[in-house]
Amino acid sequence: MSPEIAPLALHEQFANPNQQRETASFGMWIFIISEMMLFGGLFVAFTVYRMYYPQAFDDGSAGMDIVLGSINTAVLICSSFTMALAVYSAEVGSRKLVSAFLVLTMIIGAVFLAIKFTEYYKHFLDHKAPAVWFDSAGPGGPKIELFYVFYFIMTGLHALHMIVGIGLLMATLIRNLAGQITAAYYTPIEVAGLYWHFIDIIWVFLYGIFYISGLHK
Amino acid sequence: MTPAVSRRTYLFTWLTLLGLTLLTTLLGFINMGPFSIVIAVALAAIKAALIAGFFMHALFEGKLVRVAIAAGVIWFLIFVSLTLGDYITRGWLPFPGK
Amino acid sequence: MQPALALVPKNYLTEKQGLLSWFFTTDHKRIAILYTASITALFFLGGFFALLMRLELLTPETNLVQPETYNKLFTMHGIIMVWFFLIPSIPNTLGNFFIPMVIGAKDLAFPKINLLSWYIFMLGAAVTIYALFRGGVDTGWTFYTPFSTSYSTTYVVAAAIGILIAGFSSIMTGLNFIATIHKMRAPGLTWYRLPIFVWSMYATSLILVLATPVLAVTLLMVAVERLAQVGIFDPALGGDPVLFQHMFWFYSHPAVYIMVLPGMAVVSEIIPAFARKPLFGYKAVAYSSMAIAVLGFLVWGHHMFVAGTSVYSAMTFSLLSYFVAVPSAIKVFNWTATIYGGALSWDTPMLYAVGFIGLFTIGGMTGLFLAALGLDVHVTDTYFVIAHFHYIMVGGTVMAYLGGVHYWWPKISGKMYPEGLAKLSAMAVFLGFNLTFFPQFILGYLGMPRRYAAYPPEFHMLNVLSTAGASILGVGYVMPLCYLLWSWKYGKEAEPNPWRATGLEWKTPSPPPTHNFEITPVVTWNAYDYKAQQEELQLVP
Repeated sequence: MSPEIAPLALHEQFANPNQQRETASFGMWIFIISEMMLFGGLFVAFTVYRMYYPQAFDDGSAGMDIVLGSINTAVLICSSFTMALAVYSAEVGSRKLVSAFLVLTMIIGAVFLAIKFTEYYKHFLDHKAPAVWFDSAGPGGPKIELFYVFYFIMTGLHALHMIVGIGLLMATLIRNLAGQITAAYYTPIEVAGLYWHFIDIIWVFLYGIFYISGLHK
Repeated sequence: MTPAVSRRTYLFTWLTLLGLTLLTTLLGFINMGPFSIVIAVALAAIKAALIAGFFMHALFEGKLVRVAIAAGVIWFLIFVSLTLGDYITRGWLPFPGK
Repeated sequence: MQPALALVPKNYLTEKQGLLSWFFTTDHKRIAILYTASITALFFLGGFFALLMRLELLTPETNLVQPETYNKLFTMHGIIMVWFFLIPSIPNTLGNFFIPMVIGAKDLAFPKINLLSWYIFMLGAAVTIYALFRGGVDTGWTFYTPFSTSYSTTYVVAAAIGILIAGFSSIMTGLNFIATIHKMRAPGLTWYRLPIFVWSMYATSLILVLATPVLAVTLLMVAVERLAQVGIFDPALGGDPVLFQHMFWFYSHPAVYIMVLPGMAVVSEIIPAFARKPLFGYKAVAYSSMAIAVLGFLVWGHHMFVAGTSVYSAMTFSLLSYFVAVPSAIKVFNWTATIYGGALSWDTPMLYAVGFIGLFTIGGMTGLFLAALGLDVHVTDTYFVIAHFHYIMVGGTVMAYLGGVHYWWPKISGKMYPEGLAKLSAMAVFLGFNLTFFPQFILGYLGMPRRYAAYPPEFHMLNVLSTAGASILGVGYVMPLCYLLWSWKYGKEAEPNPWRATGLEWKTPSPPPTHNFEITPVVTWNAYDYKAQQEELQLVP
């Protein structure tokens, strides 16, 4: 099938495909800005407590698993790479490669989640899961627990976004298999890609604030 | 239509990101006191810029998208600076609770 | 095929019929009506709580309800009015209906997201009403910690989740409007040719997108703290209750601009139409809308002057709060200058718009009292604050909402409302409002605290006046509900442009067809081009 003739469903509120493409892409960017403020609020709260309790937060960070955390960071970066290649493949009209890279990205995303939940389980076993099982030894205990509360809330919210992201990629894959993504109109995968990369960006910051500061201990 | 970003650029971005991650981890083993987290966040910001610029095509999009991104960053900075401004200036006066 | 008799021209109301066509619509006009029905019902629910409060406050002792119940009354009144009436009111009704029309578009950028936003709004309302039926919440709409997280025994988590869900509806709406206004303006419609309605709704949308997510995570943390018994805001466990206030007010102060900017948007349309003059100082008003949106994010600490923030923080926020008053004042001056020398007609929309200007000004100026640190210590947490924000929210936004509904009623319904009754209820609203809330300024200044079910006997008379005013105000609100609904069926047919106003929406039939414009207009004229309209009219005998 010639890649130029796109089976594009021009939505009736748009005057032309270009307007539809620009609007969809811009809409996702606006959503991403709102997500910046969503996670941003939590980052602000974390920063305040980090400033107040540097020792306790370093102790909390020392209890993180740097190996799993670093592997996970690398895993997500790889998934961003494959996602970018998926969008690239759509831009040049290689439908099979689009499917391949989408599947690869989803698998890598699932690996991230598996490692994450392994970490959560390990924290539970180490008695470092607030509200469920937390041993806070010593006077700094509650403040270390505060570190873990933020860890679980922020990485949990991130994991939730990952799950949604995998669902979004699945939907994109289905659209690709149905032939709706072509070189002439690849906006759906471009938009999914933006979301996916942003979730990666959030993780990159989470890694920075949770895993690093206690490493020297 | 030729894609805005080439696969080579993606490859280099990917490798740079992995390299920066390794750097972040290794630097973490050095005790830099309060600066450890500052360096870690700064490196994260560089990685974020790379992801946004190349993977998300922010460097190749129009002015509108870049203004939107800038707005998000600025608004976060407004929130963090005015909030921290309160916490940092507490206790500067010799009155209890101020 | 037989030529059809032109009985009733198809419009957005008649084109598809049946309940399913409404609940699965993607037409922005129908979604606007769905929202109108929801927020009207919620307004009267919130008003019912206010009625009970005012009845309790008729006497100094607590004889109608227990103090614990009174706490729930003012909490539910605040939650419902803020999140389930004021925030969605003008944006999701008049904004949804008219933004596409005013810019010459067929619909919003993302019609399905628009419909989804209504369902999410209803879900949020349902969860909050569930909390109400289970016994309500007693923390105040501000959910201050550690009371809300550690000590309250009411349904805080359910209410927090309900509001959180409704917040996502807000974000979707803001996103939709921003994308629409940027990308879907008709050819030739540059930013500086847009009616101020669009500028102000755009500014509102910026706030919706940037502020609401912070509310979501704040309420999330409150819910987590309550459910998991961890101590994010608990001082005993190292938490800081003031941090909650920073996070809450970072959203909630800009939220009040979400509530007032759309009101200003409506007033900026009504005044030129009923003065038959272009809006004075178009660019100043446009830029002021944006300035309000930006500066509104820099002042949240003025809600926390007595909370325990540092003095330097308080001074900074106080100074910034004075700045944010400036763009609002610029708008008031420009509206006034528009009225001056205009060919005025005093139909109901104009009455509401002028009422807005007066009452908003009073509310805004009393805000300056509150921004002054020394004065705030005296009047904070008193009825002075309550009067201040009700002057803006009710004297401002609700009056603008009613004005807008009346102004655009002919376009929305194709019918005229009964002008005599409408003027009467506008009077009732104005008089009732002032009688309700002006005494509260005095009460607050004299020291009556807010959120108290009982008060010292010396405040009795002013409270009686306030309650009396509230009953008149209530009548003033019920009347439009009745006659507007009546006019939908029995009102006089409306022409396409009964007010002879400028604006693309008036170039369509009343009610408009589903796709708004058969042919996309090409705009080559400025907004409020009454001079050109005058010349046009003179050419036609």
